[in-house]
Amino acid sequence: MSEVRIGVFVCHCGSNIGGWLDVPEVAEYARSLPNVVFAQDNLYTCSEAGLSQIKNGIKEHNLNRVIVASCTPRTHEPLFKRVCQESGLNPSLFEFVNIREQCSWVHMQQREAATQKAKDLIRAGAAKASLLEPQEDIYVDVEPRALIIGGGIAGLTTALTIANVGFDVKLVEKEKELGGLLRHLYKLYPSNEEAAAVITPRIEAVRNHPRIEVFNDSTVRDVRGFVGNYDVIIASDGKEETIKTGVIIVATGAEELKPQGLYSYDGQKVITQMELEQLLADGNVSATKVAMILCAGARIPERTYCSRTCCMTAIKNAVLIKKQSPEAQVYILYRDLQTYGTEYEEYLRMSKEMGIRYIKYSLSNPPTVSDGGVKVYHELLGRELNLETDLVVLATPLVPHSDAKELAKKLKVPLEQNKFFLEAHVKLRPLDFATDGIYLCGCASWPTDVEQTIAQALGAASRALIPLTKGQVKVEPIVSSVDQDKCIGCGICEYLCPYKAIAVFPTDKGDRASTIVASCKGCGVCSSHCPMMAITMQNFNDDQITAQIAALAAV
Amino acid sequence: MSLEDIIQETKTFYCLDCGKCTGLCPVSRYNPAYSPRVMLENALFGFQDDLTYNHDLFSCLTCYACSSKCPGDVDYPLFIQKARALALDAGQHGDCAHSGTVQSLARLMSNPGVSQNRLEWLSDGLRISTQSDTMFFVGCAPYFEHIFDFDSGAIDAVKASLKILNHCGIEPVVLPNERCCGHDMLWTGDVETFRRLAEHNAAIIKEAGVKKIIFSCPEGYRTFKEDYPKYVDINCELQHISEFLADRIAENGLDFSEVKRKVTYHDPCRLGRHLGIYEQPRKVIAALPGIELVEMEHNKEESLCCGTSAFVNCDSCSKQIRVDRLLEAKATGADTLITSCPKCQIHFRCAMTNKGEEKGPDVEIEVMDLVNLVANALGDGHNE
Amino acid sequence: MSDAVLVIGGGIAGIQASLDLADMGKHVYLVEKSPSIGGRMAQLDKTFPTNDCSICILAPKMADCYDHSNTTILTYSEVKEITGSAGDFTVTVLKKARYVDAKKCTGCGECTEKCPAKAPDLFNMGLGTRKAAYLYFLQAVPRVALIDREYCIRMTKGLTKDGKPRCGVCKDVCQAGAIDFDQQDEEITLNVGAIIIATGFDPYDPTSLTEYGYRRYKNVVTAMEYERLICASGPTGGHLKRLSADGRDPKTIAFIQCVGSRDLHHNKYCASVCCMHSTKEAILANEHDPEIHSYIFYIDIRASGKGFQNYVARAEKEYNVTYIRSRVAEIAQDAGENPVIWYEDTNSRQVKSMTVDLVVLATCMVPRTDAVGLAAITHTALDEYKFFQTSPLAPVDTTIPGIFACGYCQGPMDIPESVAQASAAAARAAEIVS
Repeated sequence: MSEVRIGVFVCHCGSNIGGWLDVPEVAEYARSLPNVVFAQDNLYTCSEAGLSQIKNGIKEHNLNRVIVASCTPRTHEPLFKRVCQESGLNPSLFEFVNIREQCSWVHMQQREAATQKAKDLIRAGAAKASLLEPQEDIYVDVEPRALIIGGGIAGLTTALTIANVGFDVKLVEKEKELGGLLRHLYKLYPSNEEAAAVITPRIEAVRNHPRIEVFNDSTVRDVRGFVGNYDVIIASDGKEETIKTGVIIVATGAEELKPQGLYSYDGQKVITQMELEQLLADGNVSATKVAMILCAGARIPERTYCSRTCCMTAIKNAVLIKKQSPEAQVYILYRDLQTYGTEYEEYLRMSKEMGIRYIKYSLSNPPTVSDGGVKVYHELLGRELNLETDLVVLATPLVPHSDAKELAKKLKVPLEQNKFFLEAHVKLRPLDFATDGIYLCGCASWPTDVEQTIAQALGAASRALIPLTKGQVKVEPIVSSVDQDKCIGCGICEYLCPYKAIAVFPTDKGDRASTIVASCKGCGVCSSHCPMMAITMQNFNDDQITAQIAALAAV
Repeated sequence: MSLEDIIQETKTFYCLDCGKCTGLCPVSRYNPAYSPRVMLENALFGFQDDLTYNHDLFSCLTCYACSSKCPGDVDYPLFIQKARALALDAGQHGDCAHSGTVQSLARLMSNPGVSQNRLEWLSDGLRISTQSDTMFFVGCAPYFEHIFDFDSGAIDAVKASLKILNHCGIEPVVLPNERCCGHDMLWTGDVETFRRLAEHNAAIIKEAGVKKIIFSCPEGYRTFKEDYPKYVDINCELQHISEFLADRIAENGLDFSEVKRKVTYHDPCRLGRHLGIYEQPRKVIAALPGIELVEMEHNKEESLCCGTSAFVNCDSCSKQIRVDRLLEAKATGADTLITSCPKCQIHFRCAMTNKGEEKGPDVEIEVMDLVNLVANALGDGHNE
Repeated sequence: MSDAVLVIGGGIAGIQASLDLADMGKHVYLVEKSPSIGGRMAQLDKTFPTNDCSICILAPKMADCYDHSNTTILTYSEVKEITGSAGDFTVTVLKKARYVDAKKCTGCGECTEKCPAKAPDLFNMGLGTRKAAYLYFLQAVPRVALIDREYCIRMTKGLTKDGKPRCGVCKDVCQAGAIDFDQQDEEITLNVGAIIIATGFDPYDPTSLTEYGYRRYKNVVTAMEYERLICASGPTGGHLKRLSADGRDPKTIAFIQCVGSRDLHHNKYCASVCCMHSTKEAILANEHDPEIHSYIFYIDIRASGKGFQNYVARAEKEYNVTYIRSRVAEIAQDAGENPVIWYEDTNSRQVKSMTVDLVVLATCMVPRTDAVGLAAITHTALDEYKFFQTSPLAPVDTTIPGIFACGYCQGPMDIPESVAQASAAAARAAEIVS
């Protein structure tokens, strides 16, 4: 093996690292490590300047291994690897050492100790880097098809966009009808147009589109495969069908919480907003003294989030009641009004012009509902109000479907703490899952209104169109590798693998395990359980890890 | 008018309950029981009795400090005005200061049959005519001389105004049968008396055939400009004397003698926030050679009210407001506090008489009307 | 006909739209008025609710966008004219002269250091100055210097008596020989099939809210100014200190919400993101100095996005942030230049005053002043607030087919929403040019 020449780039990350440990000292230390021929500190390694310095470093010092000591690989690893590749270095010869989340950010008031720890981590990284081997990229073809789970406004919009651009679309909907939540709504805010008038044309467009096939009354039974090559097994009517798809979009929406046990909810005198919508649609609201209680079942210890859409839903319904019966008295009991933006603030003003009155209550002193009345302590007025009511409407939050967890397991995508689907990055990748080739939009991700849902659906289509139009995707070569001479074919790896990416096959030596490379996510479960230590993880092999441990232990 | 009508007219339903009004309100600073916001909220939820029988309903200065910044653009002073009319129907009229003398005078003047001796203050140097197109509205100044036991300065301001007009070549009409403009009546809810006063004034003005009316009192000016049109036709150009002077100075300049003074200017609510006139008085002051104008911390749109409105609910809270304002004036280092409203002048001078139990810190500063400052610099250069 | 796309505006929305389309194989022209892409997000310290370092998560996207084989980035450029229709637009772009050869400049910074002329530093919201020869900010993309023709001595002061230019220091010190005083503005004509507008916002100037003392009192700053103060790349190196002469470290900070928003005297609407960004700023203050106590004066807390409510709860529990329900009435100042806040605490119905060390005004956000001009050029309609008009069922479509608008330029929204909208605009553009 030719001489190993490691270059180490230690990042200040502004003050995120540099503010809490001595970066120049760490860089200087790195220079002293075995095989390290060059070390430098940068203010922001991920910036154009920092990247240029990596490129220059590789060229000038003939580096054949690069270490960046900075933030989490989750942010910039692909970027740094690309830079290495552009400079002629195999991206697998790049090693990332996290001295931010795993050092500076957790030892903020311990400058000396943090500096020492950063040195230790880099020493370990250099030991591993010395043993890195170049790997080849894996390319897979992308099936030119999208599978969309959920046929509400989000799913329908995404389907139409992808189909319009020219790809095949399969739409799976668990209900008998398409349309999702909008089927149960009367009019939409802020335009007060009829939900039916919005959803029906889209349903028709989808049903009539030559490239879209709809599966009603169908659920996803299982998902196998990897980006570009998913096998989705759907079940309808007892029958199963496997659909090969390149990308999957989750648009399963959410449902209204039925507030059992809250505020004397009975579905008759105390109802939810969606139940009210039905009554309004049928022209059946005879009540003239209405109180609406917002945050019913939301922003409480059991369910801490704000469901974003309920304030406007309540106000819109209050306006519709007033339009039907101008003499009706409607009170809205709120905690914080979510009438953000331009149109909603205007809508709020309009509702006040119509005589709808607002009463603020606090979490510690919620209203009490009894027969014929609501008692509420108006926080800002400082007095208890006794409202005579003949109808109480609760604005309850949207909650994930009960089967969201199952679906998440099948897709191997995460849920956040409230059980909504969790995207790759809350700020910059809101429509992608961390798993390549799967996307999300609409209320499946978080309660959201129709306008934003449509924007997200269009956005998810755009994200999905990228692999579809490319026709090919690259898979990271961090995969398991079986030494078939050591393997005894026991099958523990196949049993344990969450991605079905390793299996035992007959060979002329007997049953031996073998990796399905494109499905492998590099989690390492197989390798760590193999009784013969026959499985190694590329880029994280036993020698490399042992070298890291040894380097850490050395003082 | 019902409470709901008042709410609709003043758009109090736009209230965001944000509290900016109460935070700005000079009364709320010293009277913890008073909150414009809570008063509105009570009305919105129909607690009419809590409104009409609330003593503090008459504490509002109607100064517009709140509404000028209210994000809901609620016209709170108008709400108060209308609510007071409701209160009057219920027999409530607030605590009238000075034993109700001012209010009684206004009511007396509303009687068409009453005859007045209003022109005694006219002295040799001052010239009026019955032929002019321009009228000078005197207002209640002749009566103020006899109500307060300190020098209110009200009639001095009237005389100075006349001197200024004469100097500018105008011998205005001054009507011997003028009545109170009705400002205090309107703002304390007595719409009936207000209407009678307005009708009488409109009639005599029409008879006089004038085309322009100049005011030195911003309350009279505001009332004629904003409130009269809903009840009567005046059909005249209306102007405050500071506007008149500012125009005159811009056109031809005026021959002023030197005024070596450091002054600060107090924007009266009725001239400032009610009508938006901030620059003209300042232009006038700036035109005086040798003068130095220093602004108080709260000036122009942020000006602080002088502490009493419509001679009602004048109490220790009012005194504290005034003293604060006088201290602000003092802090500028000015010798003189200039204002262009007879009411402000009265209230400031009253505060410095240290009457009654409400003793505040001792503040001494000269208080003078703008017209006196200007008149003294005209003609013979006599500088008091 | 063309299958290229024009993106106007190089903030996060413009960058995201460009990347999506470029990844789809379409050629994208990204036109950005300032000398670097990055937009407002590049000016922020951290972003809510993850407290990610803003430039850390933005810079890779900036780099990707710039390096992408399918993008042409035109910075320091403006769109001057657009004709044609969906599928076939002809666009005239004015590329302003930097007086620096982009191919030679290494971004070393020598010219900046030696340049004798100063100019207001707009990237740092006017806090401090920069030079006439400058790099827009440290992580600028492209990393190419430029000379500001309005402040450059050589370009504004004419020749000396002897007919010589008055300055040429930058050229003398540039080792790459990149300075080119003869460089001209360039007019570039593009042919594109679709256009995406992503011009973002300007912070509302709170000077007209005279009751808050902005510009009168040194220790009253706007939220964007605060972001620059607390950011490591800002004028104080990330050291949060007062702007008054004492330069003390503040121990109490008041954040005033709805400054010029939800206000019929200023902007009627809600800027949507300020409740969250003030919470973030208060958290950052406490991270910098655990002794700092922050007060956020609000009317309705708008924390309805993913993870937002928990973020607010954490601020209260862990970062010494107190929320007070009140729209602040006025701000005065005591003898020590400490802001004094007067307000009615609406929960207790008491009028109080509070003296703090620093006040941060969460100002409204308004469409950029040149939105009107751009609307005229594109013939798109603006709504009553001058945001690009879209409709709820077609949230990124403007009133002109083939022209789309995403991000804050079409309505108040945060970064995830802007990113989603940017992808949405890319999808709509893709429908046309595919």
